[in-house]
Amino acid sequence: MGNFDLLKAKGVSRRDFMKLVAATTAALGLPELFIPQAASALEQALKKPPVIWLEGMDCTGCTESAIASLNPSAAELILDMLSIRYHETIMAGSGQTSEDAYQSALKENFVLIVEGACPAKEDRYCMVGGKPFRKTLIEAAQKAQAIIAIGSCASEGAGIPGACATGAVGVAEILRNEGINKPVINLPCCPVKPTTLIGTLVYYLTYHKAPPLDSQNRPLAFYGTLLHDNCPRRGHFESGEFLTDWNDPIQKDYCLMLKGCKGPQTYTDCAQVWWNDNANFCINAGSPCSGCSEKSFYKEFSPLYAKQEMFKLPGIGQINADTVGAVIGGAAAIGLGAHLIATAASGRLSNKDHDHKEDM
Amino acid sequence: MTKVVIDPLTRIEGHLRIEVEVENGKVVEAHVIGTMYRGIEAMLRGRDPRDATYVTERVCGVCAGSHGWASSMALDKAFGASVPAGGRIIRNLIIGAMFLHDHPLHFYHLSALDYLDVMAVAQYQGKDPGLLAVKDKIVKLVLAGDTAPLTPRYKPDEYSVKDPELVTMAVAHYLKALEMQAKAKKMSALFAGKQPHQSSIVVGGVTMLPNIEVVEHFRSMLNEQLDFVEKIYLQDVLTFGTGPLLPLAQAGVGGGALNYMSYGGFARDNENKDLFFKPGLIMDGNLSTILPIDEGKITEDVQYSWYKASANGKTPYTEDTIPDLDKQGAYTFVKAPRYDAKPIEVGPLARMLIMQPKDLMDIIAKNNIKPGAVARHAARAYETLLLVKDMFTWLDALEKEMGSKDFRIHDTEHWEAPMSGQGAGMTEVPRGSLGHFVKVADRKIENYQMVVPTTWNFSPRDDNGVRGPVEQALIGVPVPDLDNPVNIVRVVRSYDPCLACAIHLIDPVTNGIKKFQIGW
Repeated sequence: MGNFDLLKAKGVSRRDFMKLVAATTAALGLPELFIPQAASALEQALKKPPVIWLEGMDCTGCTESAIASLNPSAAELILDMLSIRYHETIMAGSGQTSEDAYQSALKENFVLIVEGACPAKEDRYCMVGGKPFRKTLIEAAQKAQAIIAIGSCASEGAGIPGACATGAVGVAEILRNEGINKPVINLPCCPVKPTTLIGTLVYYLTYHKAPPLDSQNRPLAFYGTLLHDNCPRRGHFESGEFLTDWNDPIQKDYCLMLKGCKGPQTYTDCAQVWWNDNANFCINAGSPCSGCSEKSFYKEFSPLYAKQEMFKLPGIGQINADTVGAVIGGAAAIGLGAHLIATAASGRLSNKDHDHKEDM
Repeated sequence: MTKVVIDPLTRIEGHLRIEVEVENGKVVEAHVIGTMYRGIEAMLRGRDPRDATYVTERVCGVCAGSHGWASSMALDKAFGASVPAGGRIIRNLIIGAMFLHDHPLHFYHLSALDYLDVMAVAQYQGKDPGLLAVKDKIVKLVLAGDTAPLTPRYKPDEYSVKDPELVTMAVAHYLKALEMQAKAKKMSALFAGKQPHQSSIVVGGVTMLPNIEVVEHFRSMLNEQLDFVEKIYLQDVLTFGTGPLLPLAQAGVGGGALNYMSYGGFARDNENKDLFFKPGLIMDGNLSTILPIDEGKITEDVQYSWYKASANGKTPYTEDTIPDLDKQGAYTFVKAPRYDAKPIEVGPLARMLIMQPKDLMDIIAKNNIKPGAVARHAARAYETLLLVKDMFTWLDALEKEMGSKDFRIHDTEHWEAPMSGQGAGMTEVPRGSLGHFVKVADRKIENYQMVVPTTWNFSPRDDNGVRGPVEQALIGVPVPDLDNPVNIVRVVRSYDPCLACAIHLIDPVTNGIKKFQIGW
């Protein structure tokens, strides 16, 4: 049986498959040339990879986000692209039947996807199937061919649960505590962005290795640029125009810094790749960025909406609302030398090599 | 007597363990157990109150928007903010779209596999090209030896639908509904920023100043939803409920407490007088008397929950609540809210029995359907149709507001936190009655509490030893095959449980709720 015949036996037509690959490579920002390569590599790899998808201290929002994908569709993701052997929210079986499915998937060469945080000190805060979630996580992580932590809770910092008093941490920290030296690909955001998850899976299935990662083990393809640098409101920031009243049509697209925006501290592709089939994203909806793709979310970024007297900008340090227009706008008016100051102020120069291992 | 444990009970939100004892083929004892705790309310103490809408939004990613909405209502009152009509309507549209997401998803993706013998698709003999494509897809999965996640499963039983035509249609609709739930989230995101976990709803209103293109985009997507809900979702539920599942429906399997409550929700005016979901209370199954809610009768017990009982003499807003994992006799992280010391069911069945829409009541009467698992699915589908139709009038109202000179979406004068204040946000969300309670002191959150639909439905025994609604509903459920307790999961899932929502730090004595008005 040829590789594509195998694929076909899985219920995927060649046309559907090429559509799927095209959509996912587009999400990765890879050129069209890449499509035949990805398709052929995926065909080589196929079998659909078995997936164990664990949920810990979660809200099911990352699962909901994954199936919010319209292109590729949720059905393609669940039935055509992956073989989801264990997933509490989706799988048919319950109780012992689901436990059996988990045990049999453990014996295969599976990909582990983890949603939700894990209590590091008190196992009884999260018990699944009568067992501590922490122990199940460690067991599955040791056997997995790859570990992908999705959403802020499973990533570094553990998002909202990480700010609570239960000792919740992300997947990588649980493994570090156990002395398990296995890489974890972190895909933070609250919830995970479907294009990020699908793009990372396609990359991994194509190359059998993690995509290039930053210091928080996030794929640079999705977390390599500072939101502030790509913000559609950036022009208003440089002009010192800040939104103070959501009712005012004139201020509608003004900079959200005075509403608490964390854009200058946040690496994410939200400005380029919007959510829900490109319908919208927080800043386009007039909401300040909460920094949910960063390990400082939520604990260190709180309060989220408080008026920021001083902005932290890479390369220039502290700057306030009254002077930003003068510093950046004024400098730009002076000429070329000043333009360099402005770009340094905004972090463009410091990030152009996609290296932000020492980000702020 | 044999003990049967189902853990994890899958295809729900969160982590749920069910323990029952079976004697002579029927359940005689039941415990429902929440097994995960995050402690979000306690974490909110001392923070900027405005963070609460953002943080509590993340209690649940399935009924996304619900907690942010209830939280904003509680904060509006604490801040003294009055939300302009534009903000109120946009909030309603954001949440209304999520009802259109939640209800079909619950029926097709979380529940239907309990009622369908999916593999009957292979026997489909019809000529419908769409259904043949579905057959082709499933048969190929079978041939490839990989039918995950549709298998493994409990074995189909006497109530399972095995007719190849019906099953193939249902699987086709399972796939269609996957697309529609994604589109419903997209609709919501048009005003909300993204879904799950919208960012637009804040204290005082919303952040998304809409233009007419966005409104019309929403309207065209709403038309598609109406088509789906009216012609596919509701028809499927009725076809199954009055067809192959009628014996289950008439037997009232999973009936439960027979006490029902709705706070009312989706205000169509700024005075909160004209509500789409009506407030009311039904006690002891007496549908002819819809009682007003007396908030003073809502209390909460923790004798069987892993929390320390509170010290006496403190008010609900000042007392502390601490997890107590070693507590004797406790068996769950869920608390036991009671109304007038009685367990209460909340959710679509409760709302529809309080509103009693004629078409639905006729179907129930004509088919002699009793309250139970099947009735819950029917009520959920029917309220989705009522809602999707009403949402068109919300869009009209929004467009009218947008045409006025002083169109507003936010009360900007009340954006900063007050020195002190308190408020309750009580409304109806997909799974039932939701209340958020906040107390602000020194411009910070002094205390935050949530009383959540799944806490009502999945509560443990109260201090009098009376079982919670689902525990009651499980008593008497037939389990002819101990290795295949499919009726138990049917009953439990019919409530659409959300355990991440249910488990919170709530003060054990919540008599303080009586201070707040119901119906918001």
